Amino acid sequence: MIGLKSTLNCIDNSGALIVECVNVLKRKVNNGWGTVGDEIVCVVKRARPVSTATQASVTAVKVRRGDVRRAVIVRTRKAVRRPDGRLIRFDDNAAVLLNNKREMLGTRIGGIVSADLRMKGWSKIVSLAPKAI
Amino acid sequence: MVFKVEIDSFSGYRIYPSKGKLFVRGDSKVFRFAGSKNASLFQQRKNPRKIAWTQVYRRMHKKGITEEVAKKRSRRTVKHQRGIVGADLATIAARRNQTAAVRSQQRLAAISKAKSEKKEKETKKAKPAARTAPSAPKVSKQQKGGKGR
Repeated sequence: MIGLKSTLNCIDNSGALIVECVNVLKRKVNNGWGTVGDEIVCVVKRARPVSTATQASVTAVKVRRGDVRRAVIVRTRKAVRRPDGRLIRFDDNAAVLLNNKREMLGTRIGGIVSADLRMKGWSKIVSLAPKAI
Repeated sequence: MVFKVEIDSFSGYRIYPSKGKLFVRGDSKVFRFAGSKNASLFQQRKNPRKIAWTQVYRRMHKKGITEEVAKKRSRRTVKHQRGIVGADLATIAARRNQTAAVRSQQRLAAISKAKSEKKEKETKKAKPAARTAPSAPKVSKQQKGGKGR
């Protein structure tokens, strides 16, 4: 249940640590609330510090504080019902940053993601994640 | 069809398909709950070892195990009767049910019979032995018997 002003942990290596939701992109029936697999617009609230040494390398930090980016929600504290009837709930809200073509900004994911993502067409993220539950 | 039945991580109850809640903690440990009661108690950080109806508590205090052990022990002592090589069950039973009087009677009969037979043999032997013994060649009993068999 992600809406305006919700903060999420960013679990990729794009450089962002905490992002704040400013808009949930519309689907047919999300009524303004985002859940796992939904796309949001967010502001980077806290990012990893940019050091001059790593700026040129591949692992360079790609975002900085105040950037506005698209992201996809990968975990929610609000329980989500699975097709088999069980509910699944995580300990935190988390997202992965995207570019304008709906591709991942980072190259790595450091944390488990919900397996619902595969159902909703984000199998790239699921395959990169260490574990999908 | 095969179901995958999960075990509740708080109470040890079984979770059948379509039931239950999954909680994934920050350290990516997965907890499964059969119902809201278990989920609620877990969230309150109750210790399942101190709640009497959970499996952990029952196992710790050895509840509901003693009866099974007793049953097993009693089953082991059951005796079984059946016939063996020469004697089937009926003859064994007959022999067992004999009274001492009958048995002694039989014994006396057998002894008297044997004695009379012995006497007869001696009387028979006495006559032919005198005639045949010196002339007949010495043949062992085993050889005689062996041919006929």
